[in-house]
Amino acid sequence: MSSYFDLTSSLWKWDSPIWLLVLTLTGMYFLLQRSTSGKRGAAFSVAMLALTLAYISPIGVLSDGYLFSAHVVQHLLLLLIIPLFLLLSLSESAMESLFSRPFMNRLGSVMAVPFLGWLSGLGVMWFWHIPSFCNASTVNYSLGIFRDATFLLAGLAFWWPVFSPVKRYHLNPSVAVAYLFSACLACTLLGIYITFTVISVCPAFASPVDRIGILNLLYDQGLNPATDQRLGGLLMWVPPCSLYVTAIMVVLKRWYADIETVPTSQTTANPGSLREAHQ
Amino acid sequence: MTTGSVEESQLTMLEPQPTSTRMLDWVSTLDHKRIGIMYILTAVFYLAVGGFEALLMRIQLAFPNNTFLSPEMFNQLFTMHGTTMVFLVGMPVLTGFANYFVPLMIGARDVAFPRLNSFGFWMFFFGAALLHFSFLTGSAPNAGWFSYVPLSSKAYSSLQGVDYWIIGLLIMGIGSVSGAINIFATIINLRAPGMSLQRVPLFVWMMLMQAILIILALPALNSALAMLLIDRWLGSAFFDPTRGGSAVLWQHYFWIFGHPEVYILILPGFGMISEVIPVFSRKPIYGYTFIAASSVAIVLLGYGVWAHHMFAVGLGMYADIFFAVGSLLIAIPTGIKVFNWTATLWGGEIKFNTSLHFAIAFLLQFVIGGLTGIMFAAVPIDWQLTDTYFVVAHFHYVLIGGLVFALFSAAYYWFPKMTGRMLNERIGILQFWLWVLGFNMTFMVQHFLGMMGMPRRVYTYADNPGWALLNGIATLGAVFMAVGTLVFLWNIFKSLHSGKIAGDNPWDAFTLEWATTSPPPPENFPVIPEVKSRRPVWDINHPEYADWKKEKTPEDKGRRGNLAKIAAWSFIASEAVFFLLLLVAYVVFNTKLMAPVGEASSPETLSDVTSSVLDVKRTGIFSLFLITSSLTFWVAERFLKAGKKSAFVFSLGLTILLGIIFLGGQVWEYTGLLSNGISINSDLFSATFFTVTGFHGIHVTAGVIALFVMLLMGLKGNLSSEKTHVFGAVGVYWHFVDVVWIAVFGIIYLGLLQ
Ligand code: HEM
Ligand SMILES: [Cu+2]
Repeated sequence: MSSYFDLTSSLWKWDSPIWLLVLTLTGMYFLLQRSTSGKRGAAFSVAMLALTLAYISPIGVLSDGYLFSAHVVQHLLLLLIIPLFLLLSLSESAMESLFSRPFMNRLGSVMAVPFLGWLSGLGVMWFWHIPSFCNASTVNYSLGIFRDATFLLAGLAFWWPVFSPVKRYHLNPSVAVAYLFSACLACTLLGIYITFTVISVCPAFASPVDRIGILNLLYDQGLNPATDQRLGGLLMWVPPCSLYVTAIMVVLKRWYADIETVPTSQTTANPGSLREAHQ
Repeated sequence: MTTGSVEESQLTMLEPQPTSTRMLDWVSTLDHKRIGIMYILTAVFYLAVGGFEALLMRIQLAFPNNTFLSPEMFNQLFTMHGTTMVFLVGMPVLTGFANYFVPLMIGARDVAFPRLNSFGFWMFFFGAALLHFSFLTGSAPNAGWFSYVPLSSKAYSSLQGVDYWIIGLLIMGIGSVSGAINIFATIINLRAPGMSLQRVPLFVWMMLMQAILIILALPALNSALAMLLIDRWLGSAFFDPTRGGSAVLWQHYFWIFGHPEVYILILPGFGMISEVIPVFSRKPIYGYTFIAASSVAIVLLGYGVWAHHMFAVGLGMYADIFFAVGSLLIAIPTGIKVFNWTATLWGGEIKFNTSLHFAIAFLLQFVIGGLTGIMFAAVPIDWQLTDTYFVVAHFHYVLIGGLVFALFSAAYYWFPKMTGRMLNERIGILQFWLWVLGFNMTFMVQHFLGMMGMPRRVYTYADNPGWALLNGIATLGAVFMAVGTLVFLWNIFKSLHSGKIAGDNPWDAFTLEWATTSPPPPENFPVIPEVKSRRPVWDINHPEYADWKKEKTPEDKGRRGNLAKIAAWSFIASEAVFFLLLLVAYVVFNTKLMAPVGEASSPETLSDVTSSVLDVKRTGIFSLFLITSSLTFWVAERFLKAGKKSAFVFSLGLTILLGIIFLGGQVWEYTGLLSNGISINSDLFSATFFTVTGFHGIHVTAGVIALFVMLLMGLKGNLSSEKTHVFGAVGVYWHFVDVVWIAVFGIIYLGLLQ
């Protein structure tokens, strides 16, 4: 297995254009958030590290036509890890002032509508695993880039109602729990389906083109297409759900710490109650 | 199911009813406390029945090569014992305690839905009776409490035992879900002012978690039972591998229910312990938030680990690894709670009475059961020990050592509140030692027997070295437990007669049930006490040390939600799981025909077969009728709110008409299929097709009836604008039925996911 960690092997793709994005984002981050706390800086580094690894490490190389499971790991990084840590890296005060402008405020509230975030977060997962789309985006380079961009954006939209740096966009806790739990249910369904189905979800991975001559290595490790897909399904199911459960714990922690000094203030700035007000 | 029923039930309680007998009083009661007691008494009765069955088995196993019981009898006994203890003792006794204490502990005068509650009890009562009727047929169920197929299929269990098992469980399942919806709505909606959800006693919180588990897990069992029944009665082959079905699917469905079920049984036990330990340590619970939040984690993770019961099936290495890791994860929130309870005891002013004796034994024994559980989570260990007495030891340590001890602890703690008299402490301690000794004798040795390879569920064993001795000890222990139970009953009878008078709050306890008389009056509280912290009664009795002066807890924001909507949503959540699993079965059975991974798909794909028998266009048109009916319903709701009666009646009538047209389309389709010789037992496609659409049709019919009732109410002018939420609740259901149909149409008719 040493070859996975052998940084000079063809399993690492050091000349990936992802560096451009990483550098741009880092530049922007330091421009916008001059006085950043250590925690936020760390969150940002995690996001950038995950972004880099998603493309240059074996995850990126193998997800390019070799292993369905690696491809799922890449999705998870793009959809769940990177957006989550990006949101955590933004400072509350800077974002507060940014989102106090009318247009941005509208945008922020629209993104806080739970239905939209849920649908984009889960929607991309389901959409890009319809066999023909999955295949096309694996085979076609620019479609692949487009797909990855949708994953990042959908991830931001998904986490926004729970972890937005601006507190007023947070869902009310019971809605947030339902939001995350149903998300877990939805990815469980997709994961189970991919794990147990006998259909090849992404035919491109069923007969890989051996670009860099590692196919035998993979097969020797037992990662034949059927096992690989099963592993991919499990990865699509268990890690996201664990993350959602962790997020639920964070929400509950907030909820239990929700001690207001003014007892009867009916906080209307709460997007959860905003939704109720609509009904 | 109206909110008005709260007052009504009080009236029925308060009015003297000169003609009715005491018996009739109880049978017709809507008082949650009486229903609670009836649950508990029925459960105690079945505890005796199940315990007697266990004793018979232990006598048979006391000696090697014993012939006291026939193998056939032994099979029936372990099946009925397991089924009885889980469904007829564990669940109802907990529902009983919840019924009695949840309203009291949250400062409510009644439960949310007294009639639904009583319905739930009687479903349980008759379901349980029906199950036991099977003895009269001479063949009680004998396929184990999880009735694995193919053993439980017609081919191998041709007598009616399994049928009784299925029907009994279905009926009780409906009862449990009704009861859980009631408890859920009660906790969400009827809390006293000041009692924010972050302040409820932990027992109440655990019952809330349990209600969620029941609402979302029982439908999994129900769907599996429905399919098994269709297999047995109508000759389909869901679970028959020889005809393309899947025996493993039963195991999946059973354990998707079964693992949450073990938490349904133990979470309330956690709740009881979390009430008892603080009171007898004279301290608030240590880490309230952790205990509460970690039970949420347990509920969520509990749905994701079912396959650890199936490691021996051969699910594949990766699946095994993931489920093993999941099981280890769920052990964390379970395990850390033990530290919370210990920390609560630590440095406390311990009142070491019977109740606390049982609570501490719970801690020690539950730890042992938890550790063996963690052992089982390691796949190779499971392969070695599965289906041996080690498994029996594991789950009895958590279920008896855990749950039953928690129940005894709670019984000693709450008996004074329920009866006004204290249980006798000396007899209590005697019972405690009989149980601790008996329990550990019986089940500790089974760890060793399991490791030596003694298989569970086999009626006898050879005289292997040591086995006779260990089994003898186990049987002796069972006798101790039986005697202990008799001592407990004796204690109850004696104390009911001549126990010390308890007074309102004999333990100087903390939570609201102690703020009223013992036993409480029908309306529970003369005045609802003020709630400003998690220990309101402590605050009232010790104002100088009141909790709210020291530690702030989240205030009650006064949100309660609407009862009818809560009931409707929790009901459809349950239904959604049911349909989801039926649809999953459809997908499982109807993608099988495709080419395996890696090979080019053959031209004879399933969708051809489907489209050859289904008229997709025609059904599509009928589907439009159903979907339009959602729209007209929405319009009707608007009109009702606006008070325009005739427009309301018209659009509601139209909704009903559209629903009926849709049903007509279904009848047309069915007759077409049947006359072409395609019926439910033709093949797996037809079986899944008829099951899914049939259940959906039943739901549409029920919806049409409900709409019709609404229409009548509207015509009579009974549907005032403040009853719009009842109408809204029916609407939630009606829209749900439509949404389900859209999924059904997409998956079955359009062949998505294939
Ligand atoms: C600490 C966490 C726990 C873990 C990791 C765990 C794990 C397991 C595993 C892997 C099995 C399957 C053994 C086999 O059949 O080969 C099992 C069986 C069982 N467990 Fe647990 N368990 C835990 C706690 C509990 C609790 C708290 C309860 C109930 C209150 C419980 C009740 C049961 C029952 C009833 C069975 C046997 C079902 C049967 O085969 O009839 N377990 N457990
Ligand atoms: Cu389990």
